[in-house]
Amino acid sequence: MIEILLFFIAASVLLYVVLGGADYGAGILELVPIPYLQNKQRHVVNEAMGPVWEANHMWLILVVVILFVGFPGIFNIVMIHLHIPVVALLVGIVARGTAFTFRHYDAIHEPKSQNVYSLIFSLSSLWTTFWLGVLAGSLFQGRIDPTAKDFVNAYVAPWTGFVPFTMGIFTICICTFLASVYLVGETQDSELKKYFWRRGFAYNIAVIITGGLVFLAAYLEDSAFLKEFLNHPLSIACVVAATLLFFLLWQLLKRNQPLLVRLTAAAQVSLIILGWYFAMAPAALSTPQGPVSFYDAAAPAAALRQLTYALCVGSVLIFPSLFYLLKVFKLSSKSLQSDSAKNDGK
Amino acid sequence: MDDLLAARSTMAFSLGFHIIFAAIGMVMPFMMAMAHFLYLKKNRQEDLELTKLWMKGVAILFAVGAVSGTVLSFELGLLWPGFMKHAGPIIGMPFSWEGTAFFLEAIAIGLFLYGWNRMNKWVHWFAGFVVGLSGFASGIFVVAANSWMNTPAGFDWVNGQAVNIDPVAAMFNKAWLHQTMHMQVAAIQAVGFAVAGLHALLLLKGSHSALHARALKIAMVFATVASLIQPMVGHFAAQKVAEYQPVKLAAMEAHFKTEARAPIILGGIPDVETGEVHGAIKIPGVLSFLAFNDFNATVKGLHDFPREEWPPVLIVHIAFQIMVGLGSLMIVLGLVYIFLARRGGLPKWFLKVLVVSTPLGFIAIEAGWVVTEVGRQPWIVYGIMKTKDAVTPMPGVQFHFYLFVALYLFLSFVTAWLFRRQVQVAENNMHKGAVK
Repeated sequence: MIEILLFFIAASVLLYVVLGGADYGAGILELVPIPYLQNKQRHVVNEAMGPVWEANHMWLILVVVILFVGFPGIFNIVMIHLHIPVVALLVGIVARGTAFTFRHYDAIHEPKSQNVYSLIFSLSSLWTTFWLGVLAGSLFQGRIDPTAKDFVNAYVAPWTGFVPFTMGIFTICICTFLASVYLVGETQDSELKKYFWRRGFAYNIAVIITGGLVFLAAYLEDSAFLKEFLNHPLSIACVVAATLLFFLLWQLLKRNQPLLVRLTAAAQVSLIILGWYFAMAPAALSTPQGPVSFYDAAAPAAALRQLTYALCVGSVLIFPSLFYLLKVFKLSSKSLQSDSAKNDGK
Repeated sequence: MDDLLAARSTMAFSLGFHIIFAAIGMVMPFMMAMAHFLYLKKNRQEDLELTKLWMKGVAILFAVGAVSGTVLSFELGLLWPGFMKHAGPIIGMPFSWEGTAFFLEAIAIGLFLYGWNRMNKWVHWFAGFVVGLSGFASGIFVVAANSWMNTPAGFDWVNGQAVNIDPVAAMFNKAWLHQTMHMQVAAIQAVGFAVAGLHALLLLKGSHSALHARALKIAMVFATVASLIQPMVGHFAAQKVAEYQPVKLAAMEAHFKTEARAPIILGGIPDVETGEVHGAIKIPGVLSFLAFNDFNATVKGLHDFPREEWPPVLIVHIAFQIMVGLGSLMIVLGLVYIFLARRGGLPKWFLKVLVVSTPLGFIAIEAGWVVTEVGRQPWIVYGIMKTKDAVTPMPGVQFHFYLFVALYLFLSFVTAWLFRRQVQVAENNMHKGAVK
């Protein structure tokens, strides 16, 4: 039973990073636009993200629900000791989602208000992504101490340090990379295509560099995670494969294959996350007293059983609908090439 | 502000904020789907315009509802880890179903908002309908989880630990049916009146009357039907509260002394020290009837419960009076609407009344939730766990409170501003018949 739930957690985190990540990255990309392309870029982002942002965002909720129903021990440690970064994340989520919708649905489109929404959208995309990375880094940094009593050790130390910080930067690069290659296929404008193409290339290199920084930070801080990682051949294989896919990706981009480019980029990021899983599993987080495993923190069997049923039945309903959503807007050759302006929904 | 009060205030504020958008997210898509259906069947242009107008409202309010709901799902753990540690696995079932429903809603809204001319028109219509359907289901699941806090079931409490967990029994606890019915009907009422009020305003301003008259009619059908059903549902709910949470009922009614042929107390300010209610109207026997269907039944008063288990009587009593008062007012409005509509038209004075009534249902919902939640104090899980034992150990929760109050106030301000702009544009464009 627990294995099925772990699979759902892994899949949700993965889909959140890949789908939601592209969504966050689109906001970050807007932060430093080329002025004469700015309006076009906003339009492409609105059209590309509009139909899917609500659904992309659901993976996070799914992880939260699975954790609090199935693994209350882990949920509680995270919510108590990482209270501050979680709140920071939430503020970002609220600001981002609403600014994005408001920008699209404001009845009066004028530059002043549009610029304000866009600025909030971009800044909060950057902010939220950073804190997502910090949270991920905190989990394996090893400073979450459930026995700590003083404020600094219990509530500040768990998420401060080089590892969470570099992880925050790494996450920003991953998301911006995903968004760039994703958006290449969302526009027919050759200038904009080139712009996304270049950004994607730069951020893919940034992913490799900042990923290295995370390892460096883990090495400097002597984290247990690094040893686990280096002892796990699968983890190493995943990261090596992710790096090698870099070459395939750029060949595909040159040949203008939007769908294959997307899949390759998604595979790259998925491999990075899988590498992380293999090093961590079955632990969910590490503490000074050692790792806390999902098995130790699981809810009673009856609760796990009902949760598994709900997830399986839910999948039967969700995956076909999600596939249909992606088919209508993202996968069909028509939608990849169509002029998005004509179906504005306004 | 101590940490417990800060955590409670944050939760109250976050829920109070979210519930408005959640109610709109549950009901407005149905109205939109109705207008859309009329358009597809009869091909009248106004219906299409109306569908698109309401669609924008749904899109804006859904975004605010979705993000404030996300915040809540985290706040359960951020503020009440002591509660979630035990309650998570027990009431996880409605939450996992709620997650599923909300996911479907998020997919459906993407399809509907952006799917114009991209899909078969009936599939597109159905996507809009599913937004309402899954939103409505989400509401039922979440309220069922809350009802478990009022009538905990599905586990045995042994030495401070939950054992023998049965998530199915927990979900279908004794309060789930009456609480969900009461809330869902209230949402239809509130959204019905709010939408009707907005269109009454636009009608009074004289813009594009065919469209707004149709909108008003759809909204008032929702509002009226729900308002006429609600007293029966409310009576059913009151009886269940009398049975399962007698101290809450006593606080609602400011009923201090146990007595047979208990009077209903309308209005008034209860004095907790003396056990008297100043300035109230008392009608003998009615409380006994409402609670037990018998004018002579004995209703337990607050004095029969230990003082430390009383909820804050003043707040609960006043909130209950507000809810019932507004509920009654909405029945009257519904009846007047039926009368006027049958005579063939709504006079201006009634449109003005409707404009003033815009927030009534929402105020009633907020008051109702105060009754449910404050009326359960000092318990977070009735009879099992006290609220003070569930709060986070982290100090400085008041900063969390200030942060989210500021954020939500700002969000409310922007949402109101956006609606003003929508109405402005609607006024300017609609009578030209030009919808972009």
